Amino acid sequence: MPNLSTVFSEVGYAHFLVLGAVLFAIGVGGVLLRRNALIIMMSIELMLNAGNLTILTFARMHGDLGGHSFAMIVMAVAAAEVAVGLAIVVAIFRGRRHVDVDRMNLLKH
Amino acid sequence: MTARVLTAILAVLFVVLAFDAGAAHAQGAVAPVDAKIGPAPDFDPPRSATTAGKTVSKRDSVASPAPGAPTNAAAKRTKGGMAFAFWGFAALTVLGSLFVITRRNLITAVMGMVGTFFALAALYMLLYAHFLAIIQMLVYAGAIMVLFVFVIMILNKPEDEPFALSGRVGKVLAGLAMAYLVFRIGSVLIDVPAHVTMAQNAAPARTAAGDDWGSTAAVGMNLFNDYLFPFEAVSLTLLIAVVGAIAIARPLKDDEPAAEAATPGGH
Amino acid sequence: MDTVKFLWVVPFLPLAGAFLNLILGKRLSRQTVHFIAVAAVAASFFTALYLVVGPLREAYGVWKHDGRQGAFGLDEHLWTWIQAGDLKLDLAFRLDPLSSVMILIVTFCSTLIHIYSTGYMEHEPRYGAYFGYLNLFTGAMLILVLGSNMPVMFIGWEGVGLCSFLLIGFWFENEAYATAGRKAFVVNRIGDFAFLLGMFLLWWATHGVDGGKSLDFVMLRDVATAHPDIYEHKFWFDERLAAAAGILLFIGAAGKSAQLPLYVWLPDAMAGPTPVSALIHAATMVTAGVYMVARLSFLFASSTTAMAVVSIVGALTALTAAFMAFAQTDLKKVLAYSTVSQLGFMFVGVGTGNWSAGVFHLMTHAFFKAGLFLGAGSVMHGMEGSGDIRIMGGLKKYMPITRITFLIYCLAIAGFPLTSGFFSKDEILAGAWAAHHDGWPAFLGKMLWVMLTVAALGTAFYMWRLYFLVFEGEYRGKAQVAHPHESPINMTGPLMVLAFLALVAGFIGIPHVIHLSGTLGDIGHFLPEWVGLSTKPMEMHLSSGTTYALLGTASVVGLLGIGLAYALYGKGPSKIVDRFTAGAGKPLYEASKNKLWVDEGYDYAFVRPFRALAKGTFEIVDRFIIDTVLVNGAGFVMSLFSRVSRWIQNGQVQRYLVGVVFGAALIFWWTSRNDHPSFSYKAVPGGIEFRAEPGHGLRSGAAVRWDFDGDGQPDPGETAPVVIKRPGDVASRVTLFVVDPVWGETDKDGKPKHLARVTRRVKLPVVEAPATPAAATAGGVP
Repeated sequence: MPNLSTVFSEVGYAHFLVLGAVLFAIGVGGVLLRRNALIIMMSIELMLNAGNLTILTFARMHGDLGGHSFAMIVMAVAAAEVAVGLAIVVAIFRGRRHVDVDRMNLLKH
Repeated sequence: MTARVLTAILAVLFVVLAFDAGAAHAQGAVAPVDAKIGPAPDFDPPRSATTAGKTVSKRDSVASPAPGAPTNAAAKRTKGGMAFAFWGFAALTVLGSLFVITRRNLITAVMGMVGTFFALAALYMLLYAHFLAIIQMLVYAGAIMVLFVFVIMILNKPEDEPFALSGRVGKVLAGLAMAYLVFRIGSVLIDVPAHVTMAQNAAPARTAAGDDWGSTAAVGMNLFNDYLFPFEAVSLTLLIAVVGAIAIARPLKDDEPAAEAATPGGH
Repeated sequence: MDTVKFLWVVPFLPLAGAFLNLILGKRLSRQTVHFIAVAAVAASFFTALYLVVGPLREAYGVWKHDGRQGAFGLDEHLWTWIQAGDLKLDLAFRLDPLSSVMILIVTFCSTLIHIYSTGYMEHEPRYGAYFGYLNLFTGAMLILVLGSNMPVMFIGWEGVGLCSFLLIGFWFENEAYATAGRKAFVVNRIGDFAFLLGMFLLWWATHGVDGGKSLDFVMLRDVATAHPDIYEHKFWFDERLAAAAGILLFIGAAGKSAQLPLYVWLPDAMAGPTPVSALIHAATMVTAGVYMVARLSFLFASSTTAMAVVSIVGALTALTAAFMAFAQTDLKKVLAYSTVSQLGFMFVGVGTGNWSAGVFHLMTHAFFKAGLFLGAGSVMHGMEGSGDIRIMGGLKKYMPITRITFLIYCLAIAGFPLTSGFFSKDEILAGAWAAHHDGWPAFLGKMLWVMLTVAALGTAFYMWRLYFLVFEGEYRGKAQVAHPHESPINMTGPLMVLAFLALVAGFIGIPHVIHLSGTLGDIGHFLPEWVGLSTKPMEMHLSSGTTYALLGTASVVGLLGIGLAYALYGKGPSKIVDRFTAGAGKPLYEASKNKLWVDEGYDYAFVRPFRALAKGTFEIVDRFIIDTVLVNGAGFVMSLFSRVSRWIQNGQVQRYLVGVVFGAALIFWWTSRNDHPSFSYKAVPGGIEFRAEPGHGLRSGAAVRWDFDGDGQPDPGETAPVVIKRPGDVASRVTLFVVDPVWGETDKDGKPKHLARVTRRVKLPVVEAPATPAAATAGGVP
């Protein structure tokens, strides 16, 4: 069992990775708990960023710049996703006057 | 009101931390290894061309101290500054993300997200990913945030019940599962020996082309040499996304009178 | 056994004609259709004639010259049809004396009936289909007759069954006719099932015996006749197997040849066009059973029990059908029962081992029964379709040719001396009188003779009753409705040809007591000797005196029947008949008129219980099990399942994410749950083998260290996951260290640090080189 003070004072890759995990968990929590489609999308962004953080940590760890390229591609995909996702949200809102995912259950029955 | 106060506190914290991190970084780059602490790290001199030392036997060789090694005190300051910056920005990140998922006001949520992204950008810098840090700020904190804000302004409808409570059992289970995952990752990572951690503050070596690691030039070389096809593919993805977004968000046309006019009059 | 070429042409020509007419019949003109049909059958007849007169006769000469070795006949092997395991079936035909007689009868009668049909069916809209079926019928019968093994025969057997269904129900627009067709088919199926069983039984008994690999008739015959003594016949299991197979096959024959109790379809078969009746009764269908029994003579000869069954059933059928014919009022029904009765005669013939007599009667019967039906058709043609003999009478002045020929047929069937029927029937009667086989009671032959004589008397009576009612006396119908007239030449032509044959065909089977010599003898005794070449000879002792007495009796009986009929019906139905049927004879009359209520009995005994069973099955199996349990049950289970699955698959992404996260955690737990390191050991020839099991999951692939000397520290150099040590080098406690694959063996202060260590007390097995396998399993338990 490592010394707790060491854990605080000596920051390494592990800390970044754990931070990424925590961030991802918070994102999952957001998707699970919230009803607003916008918040859910933001939570997804959080998860993507947690992934990016992890990728960059590993890139640093292994000294491989490919991780940086990969993170950039993730960002581009995230941007595309946000663009399309928000368009969908707007389209849904136009028809239904709400973006509550709990009430979007037309396919259920 | 609370939200604004919190936001202000976060902002101040960010500025302070940013300064400190900058300082720590500058020194860390010069003094990667504290020679007194232990043998040189065998596993992680981040060089593109080296075989990262994974064999156990290599551990026994005692690396000579790097030339121009900083004093012990400088090393300690570096260590403390690094830790301070990390914990601070980590706290910002977590706080901001908690803002996102808890605030009822959407604008507050977006602001929390922006804070998270800024703090993440700073963390990227700690990982020597300077270019990515800037991109993070431009793309996320700039573009995506603006997009969100626009949409929020379009919708502008406060929620009656922000939390989705249907399927509670499943969500609790999922929360427990998530906690278990985080715990497992954390419990693995917490075993990392201290000397390993210390060595990680070393600045990575330059790339083969002589660029600083993580700089625009280095990332550019990597992106356009090794990952050209994914780059082009993702550009196409963006194009499709733009077209798709327009197609989806465009208002549905009403019945056009032109259609009726086009019908030939048979009588 | 020699081979012959182009035997396949005989059945092929009618089949090809059938193919053409069935496929193209609608587009061809009537002339083309009947030209194809008639030409096909006629060509088939001439081919058969050539093959018999040419190659077969030649081969007979050679065979006789070579000392009559083996079975005589010509084979044509077309191709191997089925080959599976022991079974090897060829599509092969055989031309031997028996089948040569049959194909000549079949093709000849068919040709005449085809020609006749061109006149009789000239107004039929489905002309092509009719002639196609007719050709198919002939072709199937030829396959049946020529097939050299039982399965090939069965092809034809089923083929004629199918064609009888198609032709009896030819006018299927009439519900009753369609039912008659179905009845024929179903009753035939019952017989066919027994036939199949008999065939399987024969196969079971013969395969592998003396290299028997097929159901070839010659092979069966050779196998069966290897040991002459019936009651110690190993092959037939002391006759039991032969009896079982024979009786089963006879049930099949009873279905096809309309014997008790399966005869019921034949009277109903009158629903078809009259030429079809002629074809069925004379040439193509009902003779199949008689032929089959004659063909399998060796089998029936091996079992006197089966022979007794065949002959008794035949005699009973002859009697019963004759009785039923007395009171029938429909022209064709009388003829139908007379056929059933005559078939009974034939079965008595083959059942008493008098094979050639059965076949002889089959031939003569084919001539006069075909003629009778065609004549009846001609009468009905002239009467505009009516077959009711009560309204006929005095037709001789309207249709003289038909009347003359009909008279000849009636003479023949009544057994008038020197007509064909006289000789053939007498052969059977004489055979029955003389029949005394092993195991038969002494009186059986005599009893059969009595029964047949009574039946013959009945035959003469009802046939002449028919003749007198139709052609003599005064016309009883309404003159303004029907205008009786003679039929065209293409109908009367065949009648005359058949009448000639019905008169003279008997002279090729004159009784042996009449000694003839030279060419005359060759002709006079031709048929029995010729057919006897393909059948198993049975001993028959009959003195010439008895023979003449029997001949005389038969003549007297025939004349008696004719006289009786003349007395009662010579000038229309006499008063005596009316008085008799209304008085003392009423029960008898009713019984005959209602055909002994057999159909009604079958209805109660089989049809209704079967319907009830079907209804019950429908209610239970279909309605309840299939509809309710299976169909609705499947729907119910699906709906239940979907109710449950809808809770998960509910269209809400959040729930899906629950699944994703939960699954991820599950995988994580699963893959890392068993990462407690351990090791096992066992004795091997070189010592003890230690095998490290560092655990899988996240920590798999770890490097290991061993401590064998018991000092608690890793031994230098012991890093292999599998180590073999000599027992002397191993302490009682062995420790396995698992090295952290990432962080190495020491911490930052240089102290040894391992991911895990496991120590086990090793119970050293006593190893003697080489270790026994039993010792090898001793280890492995701490």
